[in-house]
Amino acid sequence: MMKGNKKKQDLYWYVLIVLLILIPFIPQVAANSFTQHVLILILLYASMSQAWNIIGGYCGQVSFGHSVFFGIGAYGAGMAVVRFGLPPWPGIILGALLATAVAILISYPCFKLKGHYFAIATFAIVEIFNRLFMVWYWVNGALGLDYPLVEVGWRNFMWYTTKIPYYYGALVLFIIIFGIVRFIEKNRFGYYLRAVREDQETAEATGINSTMVKLSAMALSAFLAAFCGAFFVQYNLRVDPTMVMSLQVSMVFVLVTILGGAGTLFGPLLGAMILIPLQEYTRVLWGGLGRGTDLILFGFLIILIMVRQPKGIMGLVDEYFNYKKMRKVISAESDIKY
Amino acid sequence: MIYFLKKFSLILLTFILVFTLLSGVVLAQEKVIKIGTLFPLTGSCALAGSRCKAAVETAVEVINNAHPECDVPLAAQEGILGGYKIVLVHADHQGKPDIAKTEAERLFNQEKVYAIVGCYNSACTNPASFVAERQGKIFMCGCSSSAALTERGLKYFFRMAPTDKTESIEFCDVMEWMNEVKGTNLHTIGIIYENTEFGKHAADEGKLAAAEAGFEVIADVPFSPGATNMNSEVQTLKAKNPDVVFGACLGGDYTLWVRTMKQMDWLPKMCLNYCTGYQDPVIAQQLGDDGNYFMGGTGYSPEFADLMPAVAAVENIYKTKIGPSVPFDSDSIQEAVATFILAQAIEKAGTLDYDKVSETLYANEWDSPLSMGGKVAFVPGGQNAKAMSMMTQLQGGEYKRVYPPELATHDIIFPMIPWNQR
Amino acid sequence: MSMFFQVTIDGLLTGMIYALVASGLSLIWGVMDVLNFAHGEYLMVGMYVSYWLGFLMNIDPLISWIASGAFCFILGILTYKLIIRHCLAGPPLSALLATFGLSMMLKNIALNRFSPNFRILTGTFLDGKKIIIGNIVLPMPQLVTSIFALVVVFIIYYIIKRTRLGWAIQATAMDKEAAELMGIKTESIFVLVFGLGGLCVGIAGGLLPSYLAVHPEVGGLFGLIAFVCVAMGGFGSIPGALLAALLIGLVEALGGFYIAPVFKYVVVFGLYLLIVMIRPKGLFGW
Repeated sequence: MMKGNKKKQDLYWYVLIVLLILIPFIPQVAANSFTQHVLILILLYASMSQAWNIIGGYCGQVSFGHSVFFGIGAYGAGMAVVRFGLPPWPGIILGALLATAVAILISYPCFKLKGHYFAIATFAIVEIFNRLFMVWYWVNGALGLDYPLVEVGWRNFMWYTTKIPYYYGALVLFIIIFGIVRFIEKNRFGYYLRAVREDQETAEATGINSTMVKLSAMALSAFLAAFCGAFFVQYNLRVDPTMVMSLQVSMVFVLVTILGGAGTLFGPLLGAMILIPLQEYTRVLWGGLGRGTDLILFGFLIILIMVRQPKGIMGLVDEYFNYKKMRKVISAESDIKY
Repeated sequence: MIYFLKKFSLILLTFILVFTLLSGVVLAQEKVIKIGTLFPLTGSCALAGSRCKAAVETAVEVINNAHPECDVPLAAQEGILGGYKIVLVHADHQGKPDIAKTEAERLFNQEKVYAIVGCYNSACTNPASFVAERQGKIFMCGCSSSAALTERGLKYFFRMAPTDKTESIEFCDVMEWMNEVKGTNLHTIGIIYENTEFGKHAADEGKLAAAEAGFEVIADVPFSPGATNMNSEVQTLKAKNPDVVFGACLGGDYTLWVRTMKQMDWLPKMCLNYCTGYQDPVIAQQLGDDGNYFMGGTGYSPEFADLMPAVAAVENIYKTKIGPSVPFDSDSIQEAVATFILAQAIEKAGTLDYDKVSETLYANEWDSPLSMGGKVAFVPGGQNAKAMSMMTQLQGGEYKRVYPPELATHDIIFPMIPWNQR
Repeated sequence: MSMFFQVTIDGLLTGMIYALVASGLSLIWGVMDVLNFAHGEYLMVGMYVSYWLGFLMNIDPLISWIASGAFCFILGILTYKLIIRHCLAGPPLSALLATFGLSMMLKNIALNRFSPNFRILTGTFLDGKKIIIGNIVLPMPQLVTSIFALVVVFIIYYIIKRTRLGWAIQATAMDKEAAELMGIKTESIFVLVFGLGGLCVGIAGGLLPSYLAVHPEVGGLFGLIAFVCVAMGGFGSIPGALLAALLIGLVEALGGFYIAPVFKYVVVFGLYLLIVMIRPKGLFGW
């Protein structure tokens, strides 16, 4: 049974990937660059949030600090292109490594803190980094880095007229990050993570080095978040501290994951699938009215989802299938009765 | 999980369907030119954004319909190119560069707009105008003030307003003029600015201009916008006590700054403001006497009526869009100018071809009764070479022209009157 | 030297206002373990109430704080009844997400209804008044707001520590189930706590327009600093929040003046990190 399930799950995962690969061939999508934009954002935000999910969802350490790692990754790519005139790749790698190092350095002392104290500490770290980057002359401070016109192609990971390659770039990111989390979920490490989330003392009593587990989860999470940051910059061709390294960006990681369902594999994807189109299309439809109508509605829908099902969309989905199962059971019972 | 995965592809497909349904349906209408506006309609710059949007709407109203009462080009006739009407598509970039880029792309690709007018924030104008440039489409920028925008060598980018650089140089000119003519001994400068793209840019240009004119910048005070208080900022200025302060504080920060200076009972001898809260007539009115004797570069103000007689009639239309008590300000009027110039160029070129229109824009000197000086002409890079602003000083709640001397109506009140003598 | 005293006093006055904003948050957080992201927006709402009363009916903020307080009290109760109550069943973060949605809504409703204009109340009773002692200037609006802050924080503290209601609140905070078994109506306690949280911040909002411009985004930084105050003081500890707020105000002013104004919040957040490294549960936490 278990084995059958696993095979089945594998199958669905591959079907999903194939579907995602084929999407750009749908004529409506191919013709409409805004739809492509929304799809790219969904994949990017799903990947970002999945990276956060490792530490925030599976390990239960709510970090509002991920925009720092996101930002370092972004600045890695940005600096390579703007300041050094290189392709972004070495900057991306260096940025990701740097983000990992920073993550380890700042999380090690912070992991002493529990619950909200930890959350607020990461909060404070974002604000500190944001303000330091704002005045750091070498990275152009508040002015930000604007990309020059360079040759398009995979070498520079930059296109001006088409978005399809960005879509596949985001898809690669998505597959890698989701693949890693899928692997972890079944792996010993995944069980450690959940053990630490449920009860740190008990986990330690069973011989798990909780600090080590949390640190490695954070490091992995930061490493992956940095890649997403680099993608974000390559996509927008501009980086400044408010864009990538602010509480608003940090909230995105948390929002998407919780909305979808924290600590579940498909939660981040579901969250992104709901949140991003909601955000983008409400803006398109009502943003031009200029009275914040889109954001009122957006806020209202978030509240609505949370009030209806605090466990997020995954909770709704579970509820739906449980209901169907129940119906099956009930109808089976009534069959017997009559 | 398995149950759910089963349904997953179905959910995904539904979503794609929804996208395609939602995404823009292009209506094939005749005799219509679509123009996009892209301003910060929400977020911390929403005030300025909504005014700019209304200014563009005003210009379009004048262009599309016969308005014989307005003495501006294209007012008498209906539409351009023999009956083409302009239709506006509004978009909101929330003050975020990434959204500005997305929305610019959407306006061009989905809404099929002909050109975009925007974006107020220089940080947003930059990526948005790049989108236009790459597609070979025209981007009209009214009031983004970063000098770097027109130093990029873009072919389809046009900016109306004077830049931070022009303003900074003018500030130093005023100081030199005061020293020569009035024998004031102005030497030291303090700069207070919000630490954002806008403020940093202004401050950098200010420092450059000061260095060239031989003044000394002794206080460099950036602050985080949206501050809860500005005590330490003002204390720092007070401790350094510069002769002149250059200010780049927007909206709420500007009022907070002025009021904090009042509390701390300190004023410089002269205070010069970039395009900021100083130019907002509503703020000036609210600050009342506290706002007096501050100075700044101003592109337009109701008190300029004798200089720019054509504005009043247009302003009446503007007031129906934004509110009866809000006159044009230096920023929003530039967005109206941008719209007018674009329409005039299309009319003159006689075609919608981008290259022709762009060439026409460069080749001519345009009549623009809404601009100070009445003329607009572009130099390569897209900067309006005729852009000028005038130094004004708030005296009795009104913007009085004080510099350059040939256009001045009032003397500069120098030094600023201390708080306790008001 | 007089500069030093002046800066110190400015810092303490600012700190008092932070304390008033933070005390409400501390109450909610301590009792219900809910991160209320809309707290800064409550402040904004309170400020608008006071502003409109002053603008339309010429009521001074010194009086209209009562109305702002009452308004935010109701707003708090509504938030609990309509939103938070339903989220408590889920993971602790869902309430956070819901309040985030609420903050977005409130901010943009204000934008929608009142336009993004910066509004200032001029000619209020306290406007421009100040006390001058030697070289040191004490601005009256801030001074009066600080006195209010002290009084309100003291009253809240008294209620919690010395009344039966306060004991019920404490009991609920410590163990909800046990409190219910003791016959405490925890549901009503939650409602009340949310209302009181709104009341505190509403009073602060009522007084602020006498020297701060009102606009839809005004609550952001206040909310953020309130979070840090509460965490630095230790959750649920009102004296902790008060002390933390004063410290933050002081450090902000001194750091801003002696290091650089642009670093003032860096110093504040740095201080928080430093303090929780030494005392992981905040100054007064246990």
